[in-house]
Amino acid sequence: MAVALCPMDEQISGELAVVDPTTETLAQKKARFERDAFEFTNQLYAAALRYTKNPHDAQDLVQDTYAKAFTSFHQFTPGTNLKAWLYRILTTTFINSYRKEQRRPQIAAGELEDWQIHDAASHTSDQGRSAEDEVLDNLTDGDVKTALAALPEEFRMAVYLADVEGFSYKEIAEIVGVPAGTVMSRLHRGRKLLREALADYAKERGFNKSGAKGGDDE
Amino acid sequence: MSNLEIACNDVQQTIFLFIDHELPSEEQYPIFEFHFQQCPPCHELLEHERAALILMQNLLRGTCNESAPQELHDRIQETINSLADSSFTHATSVEFFSQTTITEFTFDGTTSFSVTQEFTQEIRHEFPNE
Repeated sequence: MAVALCPMDEQISGELAVVDPTTETLAQKKARFERDAFEFTNQLYAAALRYTKNPHDAQDLVQDTYAKAFTSFHQFTPGTNLKAWLYRILTTTFINSYRKEQRRPQIAAGELEDWQIHDAASHTSDQGRSAEDEVLDNLTDGDVKTALAALPEEFRMAVYLADVEGFSYKEIAEIVGVPAGTVMSRLHRGRKLLREALADYAKERGFNKSGAKGGDDE
Repeated sequence: MSNLEIACNDVQQTIFLFIDHELPSEEQYPIFEFHFQQCPPCHELLEHERAALILMQNLLRGTCNESAPQELHDRIQETINSLADSSFTHATSVEFFSQTTITEFTFDGTTSFSVTQEFTQEIRHEFPNE
């Protein structure tokens, strides 16, 4: 009669030399979480402000996000993208919990598919980047925030995740939970709307001296 | 050269994918680059769109950079502490073991083996040193 007694996770403990979530103690897990995840608090808070549009809810959302992240930290694979993982929890938590009170019109599915009707061709005139730069440089932080906040939620998320956080379409697709093609249309539409809104703000403020355009497509 | 040809219309419709480096395949980049070399209007459009995007990204990044208030940092730390504390008082880690028992027996001159495998787990309590 022979008896073999061995830990079943022996075969994986060797290859994860740096961190092995299956064997680390809770104290080690907590220390690792604090070291790696806490550095994103400011970024997640800024994102939460875009999502919730108010500091109170934004704080609650980020706190909830960290609580969920800590309790499921064992599911995170060390060495993969922690920032994207945290953004996914933030976004999912927002969509499932915080959005319910904030009623808003849903975007019709067909509306998302016209990204191919690109407006770029209308910008070929030689009004010059410097003129557009000069106009938009005069916008205040408040203008930019208001214009971004006015975008429909799906577009706002896509623009924020791509253009502020620098996530790829694929990463955004995973964070938001939609196909990459949908991310592409939302991002394209969102940028177009934001550009138009910023140009309108600049115009209203009387900074449109050079006639740089952004809103009218024809 | 014909495999490098692409219509202006196709370039213009997907120029933002080129700028974002999100074209569906890597093979398309040389095709676009070749087109931009050959086609001044499309090249101008590329420069304009890229500059407009960078400008907008800079505006957004310069604006959406609020720091979390100290209160939030404190709340997060407290949350993690209490979650960790409540875990410490309960079972903290579970080790899984497999036990294989091989029994050899002889009957009527024939030797046989009986193999049984049991899976057990052991709950280990941890004592934080902090």
